[in-house]
Amino acid sequence: MTRKELLLTAMLAALVALIAAASPLLAQQKPPLTVGAIFVGSVNDYGYNRSMKDGLDEMQRGIPGLKLLEAENVPETAESERVMEGMIQQGAKLIFATSFGHQQFAFNLAKTHPDVYFEHAGGWMMSHNFGNFFGATQAAWYPMGVAAGKMTKSNTLGFVVGVPIGYALGNVNAFEMGARSVNPKAVTRVVVTGGWSDKAKEAAAAGALIDQGADVVTMHVDSPATIIQTAENRGVSSIGFQSLTAAQLAPKHWITGLGFTWGPFMTGIAKSVIAGTFKPAFVREGLGQMMAIAPFGPGVPADVRALVNASADKVEKGFNPFTGPVTDNAGVVRIAAGQSWGGDKMGNFDWYVEGVIGKAK
Amino acid sequence: MNSALFVGVATSSIASGTSLLYATIGEIVGERAGVVNLGLEGIMLIGAATGFAATALTGDAYLGLAAAAVAGTAVNLVFAYLVVGRNANQLATGLALMFFGLGLSALIGRPFIGTLIAGLPKLHLFGHTIMGNPILDYDVVVYLAVPTAVLVWWLLFRTRWGLNLRAVGESPVAAVAAGVHPGRIQYQALCLAGLLGGIAGAHLSLAVTLTWAEGMTAGRGFIAIALVIFAKWNPLWAIAGALLFGGAESLQLELQAAGADVSPFVMNMVPYLLTLAVLIAWGWRRQAAAPAALGRNFVGVE
Repeated sequence: MTRKELLLTAMLAALVALIAAASPLLAQQKPPLTVGAIFVGSVNDYGYNRSMKDGLDEMQRGIPGLKLLEAENVPETAESERVMEGMIQQGAKLIFATSFGHQQFAFNLAKTHPDVYFEHAGGWMMSHNFGNFFGATQAAWYPMGVAAGKMTKSNTLGFVVGVPIGYALGNVNAFEMGARSVNPKAVTRVVVTGGWSDKAKEAAAAGALIDQGADVVTMHVDSPATIIQTAENRGVSSIGFQSLTAAQLAPKHWITGLGFTWGPFMTGIAKSVIAGTFKPAFVREGLGQMMAIAPFGPGVPADVRALVNASADKVEKGFNPFTGPVTDNAGVVRIAAGQSWGGDKMGNFDWYVEGVIGKAK
Repeated sequence: MNSALFVGVATSSIASGTSLLYATIGEIVGERAGVVNLGLEGIMLIGAATGFAATALTGDAYLGLAAAAVAGTAVNLVFAYLVVGRNANQLATGLALMFFGLGLSALIGRPFIGTLIAGLPKLHLFGHTIMGNPILDYDVVVYLAVPTAVLVWWLLFRTRWGLNLRAVGESPVAAVAAGVHPGRIQYQALCLAGLLGGIAGAHLSLAVTLTWAEGMTAGRGFIAIALVIFAKWNPLWAIAGALLFGGAESLQLELQAAGADVSPFVMNMVPYLLTLAVLIAWGWRRQAAAPAALGRNFVGVE
């Protein structure tokens, strides 16, 4: 061999030895799983995105070494596809598309990346590597209605809805039904802002409801913060939604709220991906599993707390408020006697129950 | 239709129309000098983010307001340099400014998302309530909105500086012949426009919503640009325009709360339909009202 060939061979041998020696080290640093998550807004919203972030953090704590890629403020457009693609390029094998409008784009990627698993929140699409999950929010709103119905003095409740999809209308309906169950005179006024997150409009919408006499205000938008603050500034009670942390925004007039506890579900999914046992499923879990009731505010008397807790227990044990006969606010019977609408029908609402003042579509 | 509705609409439209008014007046000043600033949305966002950040850091909303005014002025000066100093195309530069404002405001505001602030204090000057609605109970920015409009009208139409400014907007060549320096006037005009735009944005984050979120102006900058045309480049008409648009938005939300039997999708379109209708109806005779040299860069006399 020439001197040059000898040198090259020696270098090659050294390189191979180095890699062999380092490989156990490299293998230890390789994370068991890289997970990607996209949020439609900021995680500091005291709302939906916060709850997702808290769930992901819990998942990360439960699986040591798990690598989490996050992207906030990802719009519900083709841009989200680009962002998720970038995460897949960085090695993500599990993607959480956390907002309703991310569904189609995540589904497109699921078709082109059959080895990556996707979990979408709030939709319905499924495939061998695409699953769907959300809280069974509708029934959980019933105890919130109970709380509002007992705490209201003007018998007018206010509900701000972002986008009037079926699931959101179902929330309003269960809320009003819960209120009516303890207060037959309670009515719910609804204002639709047209988007999941428009702060100025939400402030104005809450103001409009209060102008019309609502003394308990609640919402289905991404972040309850603006509405709760507007209500607090005008001395009106509020019921929160999305995240259990929202109580700090309304120290005086907070009643209670609904929040999501995504952690256990997300941990389970991640573990199933690591173990190779991922099974796509349409998961809807309610109170006691993916959902929880927020702590009560200082002004809520003990008998109301007991009533709300009892109602929540009933829901946890399977009570379905959408059991016929149910009439809509135009007098038409929508659910016949003897029938009931199960979890699969929660997206079908395009009407409001009796007692809701507003137009559904 | 109940009286609570009218009171609610009146109160809410004044609150939401204020930031529109400041933005419109600022844009009028700039356009009267011949410069159209399509980046008004970016200026408002920077004002909102800076105001919120400064308030969160210092605890004083008035300091935040001042910081927003300074930030708006500074960014508009950059725009002025590009358009006046370097003769860049006004429309393209304005749009670039909008994107820049979107990004910069997101950067400034990011550490403060979710922070709770006290906001601009309401001056309880009148202390009356009508049906539980605190009528005429606003912060200082709202109270100064109409006086600012009148002041700017006076500046533009009753002072020599205003005359020179309008001359530059109509015919820079004639202005040069009269001994006016067009570039300097345009810089001054854009300074004032930036200041007002920054305050407009800050009012949204410090008084209306008490929060910061990316892109929170949601197109109000562009509405303001349309309102300039509606107002025939006159600050006094801008008062009517801002009230009209602010009122339309408040009206549709209050109508929903009152239980109007109209689809919520149609209701949310109302403010924009109204703006379109007004612009179409009033647009025919407005061509002559625009400053003659609007949008054109003045490169010097031959």
